[in-house]
Amino acid sequence: MNTLSFQRTFRLIEKAIGIAHRRHSVIAGNLSNLDTPGYRGKDINFKTALEQALTREQTPGMSTTHPKHINSSGRFPDKTEVTEEEGEWNGINYVNVDEAMVKLTENTLIYRSATEALMRKIVLMRDVIKESSR
Amino acid sequence: MNYLQSLQISASGLLSQRKRMDIIADNLANIETTRTATGDPYRRKMVVVGTKQIQEFGDMMEAALEGVQIEDVVEDQSPFSKSYNPSHPDANKDGYLLKPNVDLIVEMTNMMMARRTFEANIAAIKATRQMVLKALEIGR
Repeated sequence: MNTLSFQRTFRLIEKAIGIAHRRHSVIAGNLSNLDTPGYRGKDINFKTALEQALTREQTPGMSTTHPKHINSSGRFPDKTEVTEEEGEWNGINYVNVDEAMVKLTENTLIYRSATEALMRKIVLMRDVIKESSR
Repeated sequence: MNYLQSLQISASGLLSQRKRMDIIADNLANIETTRTATGDPYRRKMVVVGTKQIQEFGDMMEAALEGVQIEDVVEDQSPFSKSYNPSHPDANKDGYLLKPNVDLIVEMTNMMMARRTFEANIAAIKATRQMVLKALEIGR
C-alpha cells in the first residue's frame, strides 16, 4: 500500500478537506456576525493547521508503564486552531464583509481543488487496475 | 464533521437579519403613530444582536463555532420629536405634538445593512452547496 503512496495521498487530502471544511464554518460564522457589536472575526491558518495535523499523525502514542494502561494508538482527536483576527474597527465591530467574502471564495477553491486531486488519484488507481486485468 | 453546522450558522445569520428587517418595517410603518396603548407616541424599536454557540457533542474538543442570534428587542429611549401643531387632537396643552423618535434616514441605512448581511449569508450557503456537490463527485 505504502509503496503506491496510496495511503499517504489519501490521508493528506483527507486532512486538507477536513481543515477547509472547518475553515468554511468559521468564515460562515464571521459572515453571520456581521452586525454583532464588538465581534472579532475568526480564522484558521490553513498551512499551519495542515502541518499540525500531519505531525500529529506521526507522533507515537503514549507509552504504557502498567499492563492495565490503555494503549493509545497515537491518534488524538484533531484539533484545529482557531485564531482571532485583529481587524479594523468599523463602528460596530471588527469584521470586514469584503475580506470575509474573499476568504470564503478562496477557501471554497482550496476545497474544490483538494477534492479534484483526490478524484484524479482514484482515476489513476482505476486505470492501473484496468490495465493489469487485461 | 458535517455540513449542517455551516448551514446552521448561515441560517442563524439569515434568521436574525429577517427579524431585524421585521423591526425596521415596524418602525417605518409607525413613523407617524402618536397613539399607542401606553398613551405615548410610538417608540422606535431596536434589536440587540449577540453570538450563539453552535457546537455538537462530537466536536467538544474543538473551539465552538459562533452563529448569531437576536438576544432582545429594546425600545429607543431617546426623546420624541416635537412639532407645533395645536389643532391636532393629541397635542399637549402648549400646542406641541410629540412624534415618534423614528428617523427615516437611520432606518433606511439599517435596512441596507440588513440586506447586505443577508446577501453575504446567502453567498456562504451557496459556497457550502458547491462544496457538498464537489464532495459528492469523489469516486465517480
